Amino acid sequence: MDERAGRPYITRREFLTRTAAGVVVVGGLPAILAACTGAANTPEPSSGGSAAGGGSSAALRVGWSSEPDTMNPLTSYSTEAQEVLQLVYDKLMEYDAQLAAQPSLAESSTTSDDGRTVTYTLRSGVTWHDGEPFTADDVDFTFNLIHDENLSQYAQWLADMISAEAQGPDTVVVTFKKPQAFDPALAIPILPKHIWAGMKSAEIQKFANDEPVGTGPFTFGSWERGQTVTVNRNPDFWGTPAGPGSVIWVLFQNEDVMAQSVRTAEVDILSEVPPTIWDGINGADQVKAVSLPGFSFHHIGFNVSEDPASGGNPLLLDPVVRQALSYSLDRNQLVQIALAGHGQPGSVLLPPAMADYQLQIPEDQQFNANPDMGNQILDQAGYAAGSDGVRESSSGDPLQFRLIAIESTTVDVRAAQIFRDSAAKVGIKLDLETMDENTLGSIVYNADAPDWDIFVWGWDSGVNDPDYLLGVPLSSQIGGNNDVYYAEPNYDALYDEQAAELDHDARVDLVHEAQQMFYDSAAYIVMWYQDKLQAYRTDTWTGWSDTPGGVIFNFTRANYVNVHPV
Amino acid sequence: MRLGPFPRKVLQLVATLFAVVVFNFLLFRVLPGDPIQLYARSGHLSAEQAEQLRAVFGLDKPVVEQFWIYLKGLMHGDLGFSLTYRQPVSQIIVQRLMNTLLLLGAATVVVVVVGIVLGARSASKRGSRLDSSTVVGSLALWSMPTFWVGLLLVFVFGVWLDILPISGITTPGAVYGTPLWSFVDVSKHLVLPTITLALVDIGQFVLITRSSLVDVLTEDFVTTARAKGVPRKRVVWRHGMRNAMLPVVTASALYIGLVVGGAIQVETVFSWPGMGELTYESVLRRDYAVLEACFLLFAVTVIVANFLSDLLYRRLDPRVRAA
Repeated sequence: MDERAGRPYITRREFLTRTAAGVVVVGGLPAILAACTGAANTPEPSSGGSAAGGGSSAALRVGWSSEPDTMNPLTSYSTEAQEVLQLVYDKLMEYDAQLAAQPSLAESSTTSDDGRTVTYTLRSGVTWHDGEPFTADDVDFTFNLIHDENLSQYAQWLADMISAEAQGPDTVVVTFKKPQAFDPALAIPILPKHIWAGMKSAEIQKFANDEPVGTGPFTFGSWERGQTVTVNRNPDFWGTPAGPGSVIWVLFQNEDVMAQSVRTAEVDILSEVPPTIWDGINGADQVKAVSLPGFSFHHIGFNVSEDPASGGNPLLLDPVVRQALSYSLDRNQLVQIALAGHGQPGSVLLPPAMADYQLQIPEDQQFNANPDMGNQILDQAGYAAGSDGVRESSSGDPLQFRLIAIESTTVDVRAAQIFRDSAAKVGIKLDLETMDENTLGSIVYNADAPDWDIFVWGWDSGVNDPDYLLGVPLSSQIGGNNDVYYAEPNYDALYDEQAAELDHDARVDLVHEAQQMFYDSAAYIVMWYQDKLQAYRTDTWTGWSDTPGGVIFNFTRANYVNVHPV
Repeated sequence: MRLGPFPRKVLQLVATLFAVVVFNFLLFRVLPGDPIQLYARSGHLSAEQAEQLRAVFGLDKPVVEQFWIYLKGLMHGDLGFSLTYRQPVSQIIVQRLMNTLLLLGAATVVVVVVGIVLGARSASKRGSRLDSSTVVGSLALWSMPTFWVGLLLVFVFGVWLDILPISGITTPGAVYGTPLWSFVDVSKHLVLPTITLALVDIGQFVLITRSSLVDVLTEDFVTTARAKGVPRKRVVWRHGMRNAMLPVVTASALYIGLVVGGAIQVETVFSWPGMGELTYESVLRRDYAVLEACFLLFAVTVIVANFLSDLLYRRLDPRVRAA
């Protein structure tokens, strides 16, 4: 895997679909609950939140709706585990509350003129939570372990690495095959060599790491499975000590009950709030609900595989057919219906939280909400309407396709129904079938013989960088993330160029160009970018920063560290 | 050699259990989607890594061999290794089981005892206003969806009145001065889920007890007892109830099995860290080992409960013994 593009990428897709599932499931009663609660009495501070708001030993309580998988950062794939472990383990660099890169375990870094060698100067006097000193050997060990054993989600960021070498106790030199626009130091947690050395790859796969030892602002406390995860402030932290004496993540199996728990002050902040409940929560006493631009989107994907083994309908290989389908669909309507308005209409691969990396396509140049235009281009291309109103190709094959969606992701099913009705307006017939996520995944990702036409799903960026989402449609990702089997050498080349471009403005131009190219292909219909909806109490903790992408469950841990009791 | 009724029952029990183990094992392997793929599919793992993982967890071996390994482990009390939590399954399950037993124990006592008392009162005053309102009330409660009742209670007692905690088994982060406070805290958390289970499930016991007792109370020996001047209460409880117990015992045995389904909903609404919640999470994660253990436990519960009710029948009713 020399190609950067060949890397397996981390995805937060699972998290994403679960979030979305809450949207419509909550239909009747909870909406009433949320509405009624406006009249409820002011909740007293929770009885046993013994510590909350009571000085420096106070506990910050976070509500979440799913548990971590494991505390082993080299085998974990859950967003929840990452959220906990980012407080226990440090990286060489960290994002601050504005998502700007800041030095962490590395005090500084310098990049060589050719951009291929990065020298990190490490902070001195740092100790692991078990008292052992932290040295350059630990960094050397972590980078090489991940790279050599191709371990974990982090291996993707080191695919181009040639070597990582400790030079003295506080210097590490990392050499890559080509310049890295995204600094892997922002992603990789540094592990203690004295604990992890000596384990074979297979042993690491089975290692539960029940007591993670890091250098971070919090030490690991406990994980009561099915209930809570607790971390405690690290008094010996090298930086500014964290505000909360501890952080407790509390598991809720029901999102409606979870949404109410911030009102009753059983928790201080919620990782997610269903859109239909958000308005009710927003009006509650001492609670602030926030709606922040997100790093994710939901999309419709077309099977554009040219592999003879593909079972996809070959009529979809004609971009005109895909563009006509895209024209038929009204993204604004989708946002209003599926997200209760809490999102932006979709267009390109990168969501709004990517700031200037996102390409803005003028509305009159988008394939959006214009069925007349869809009919026009289909007429021009010679797809005439058949006797039953469904258009046919010149050889008489009807424009009729299979459409699949995940049944538990209610917003996707709703979107698929709307899409089916829209497509009829341009004379294209879609047959909708729903299934569970696992099944849909195995159908879509069956790279040997992808036997499907159109699906509905979503993506969430694993990093605060265009690299991840832009990398999805690479030809080298076929069998990996590439869920539509798009293969365009010019796109691949453009991607490689931006990934090695260290000048920001130059990279933005390349990233825009790549987005336009993929947009024009219409292999995806990006339906919407959903907002990140969260809520926190204003009477227990203060100092929250409304960071794009989320107050918590974001690429930064800053909010956990910076808040302090009211 | 002819086996006596007891050894025959035990043999049946063992055969049923084995069938459950086999079925259980196969069930999760014919379902679409495999756990390694669940990781690999979303692009985290290369094919090579997926194979490696498969080998580590023994999923690369033929199914028959996997079953043999599973069976051998089971005999030693080894329920397997969780792919999600990277822990032995038995370690994960014990605490969950305790929590579920706590919840179900409390609920079952309330449901059975209160159900029988209400049913008996209703039967002994058959046709009265009390009787008809009890029947209507039972039917109404019985037809309510469990999670809906739960959410309603959350809203009324948790949010509106704000007198009871709405989720979990303890208050997160609470530090207890004495074990007594820990007990009080758990009890408080137990109130709403128990009431939910009781409200929804009590109806069936009321109705079964009532109809069974109404039948018995019309029989000749009851009339005789009345004629002898035996007090009404004594007639109902000593003479009537003893003979009306069989359907109630059956219902209780079935309830223990059925309640698992109800408990999944209640545990989900109240985030009670029990077996139901574990099962639900494990289905989503295709964690074979945990699922097998959960389903095995559920099946064993039902089978053993039925076995015990069989034995209890024989004690309660000489006619069964003779048959």
